[in-house]
Amino acid sequence: MAENKHYPELRKRLTPGWWTANRHYAMYMVREWTSLFVALYSLIFIYGLSLWATGSRADFLNFLKNPAVIGFSLVALVFTMYHAATWFYLLGAVAPVKIGRSKTKPWQALILNLILLVIVSYLAIWLVVLR
Amino acid sequence: MSQEIATIRVTRYRPEKDSQPFFQEYKVPYRHDMVVLDALNYIKAELDGSLTYRWSCRMGVCGSCGANIDGEPKLTCASFLHEFKDRTITVEPMSHFPVIKDLVVDMEDFMEKLVKIKPWIIRKKDSLVEEGEYRQSSKELDRYQQFSSCINCMLCYAACPIYGLNEKFLGPAATALAYRYIEDSRDQGKDIRFPIVHEIEGVWECTLVGECSVVCPKGVDPMLAIQRTKILGATNAIKSILMPRGGR
Repeated sequence: MAENKHYPELRKRLTPGWWTANRHYAMYMVREWTSLFVALYSLIFIYGLSLWATGSRADFLNFLKNPAVIGFSLVALVFTMYHAATWFYLLGAVAPVKIGRSKTKPWQALILNLILLVIVSYLAIWLVVLR
Repeated sequence: MSQEIATIRVTRYRPEKDSQPFFQEYKVPYRHDMVVLDALNYIKAELDGSLTYRWSCRMGVCGSCGANIDGEPKLTCASFLHEFKDRTITVEPMSHFPVIKDLVVDMEDFMEKLVKIKPWIIRKKDSLVEEGEYRQSSKELDRYQQFSSCINCMLCYAACPIYGLNEKFLGPAATALAYRYIEDSRDQGKDIRFPIVHEIEGVWECTLVGECSVVCPKGVDPMLAIQRTKILGATNAIKSILMPRGGR
C-alpha cells in the first residue's frame, strides 16, 4: 500500500492537554493522579512505622500528631477513597457475579467492597489500637 | 415559512494543495429527520463535489462513516442534527489516524491488526462436512455474542488515548474480536492467539480509560474484553507455573 501513496498523509500528535477534551478523560486522569497521593501516604506511613520499629512509640505518635501529617492524611484519605471507589466499580464492571439468571451490577460491587473495606479497617484498628 | 438552516463545519485537507487542514463552513437546509451523513451528502451533491468522506449503508451496519462530531467519535449516519445545539456541527476526521483527504483516514494499521489476531475459527483438525456443524449451546453463545457485533468502524480507536500515544497498541476492537474467538467454544486457537494479545503492545498497554466502550455504536464493551483477556492471561501464567505439564 505504502508505495501507492502519492501525497503526504496528515498526522496529528496527541497534545498534553488531551484529557481536558471530555469528562470521562478528566475523570480517568483524576483517578490516575490520586494514586500519587496513595503512594506518598504509603511512604509517610512506612517512615512512621520505622519510628515505631526503632523502639520509640512516642516519636511515632508525635509524628502522627503533626498538623502537616494530619492535614496530608485527610487529603490522602479523600483521594484514596476515590481511588478505591473507582477500582471497586471497575471490578464490578469487569467481573460481575452471576446470581441465578441475573448478573451483579458494578455499583453493587462498589457498595459491597466499601462495606468490606470499612469492616476490615475496623478489625485492623481494633486489633492494633483498641484491643 | 422560511427554510431552517444547519451550519456544518467540516475539516478540509487536500494533500495536493494544502500543507495544513482548515475548516470550511457549509449552510445546509435543515430537516428534523436529517443525520450528519445526509448533510454531508447534500454538500457533496449541491454545494461542493470535492468534499471527500466514506460512507456506504447509512444504517449503522457497515461501519464506514465514522468521524469526530463535535469532538466525539460517532457514526455520521447515526447522529441526528437535532441533537446538536444551535444546529452548528463540527465534523472532523477520526482522531489518531493519519488523514488521507478531508474526512478519509488511513485504515491500514487497523486492517493489519485485524488480520493479526486471526478473526476466524481455528480448529486443530478440521472435521469433514459429513460430520455436521460444530454445535454450541445458548450458554456458550452468551459468552462471546456481544463481542461479535463489532462492525470495525474504528470509533473505539479514535476514542482511545493509549492508541493516540502509541499506535503499536493492539487496541480495543482487535482485542475484542480476539476475545470473541478465545471465548468461542468451537475455537481451538487459544495457544495461537494468546501470544499475540499478550505481547508488550497487546492488552497490557491498556490502562482502563474505558472510552472505547462509551463510544461503541453497537454496544460492544471492548474495555471488558481487554480486562478479561488480562485475567485469562494472568491465570494461565499462574497455572503454567503451578502445573507445568497440565496447566493449560
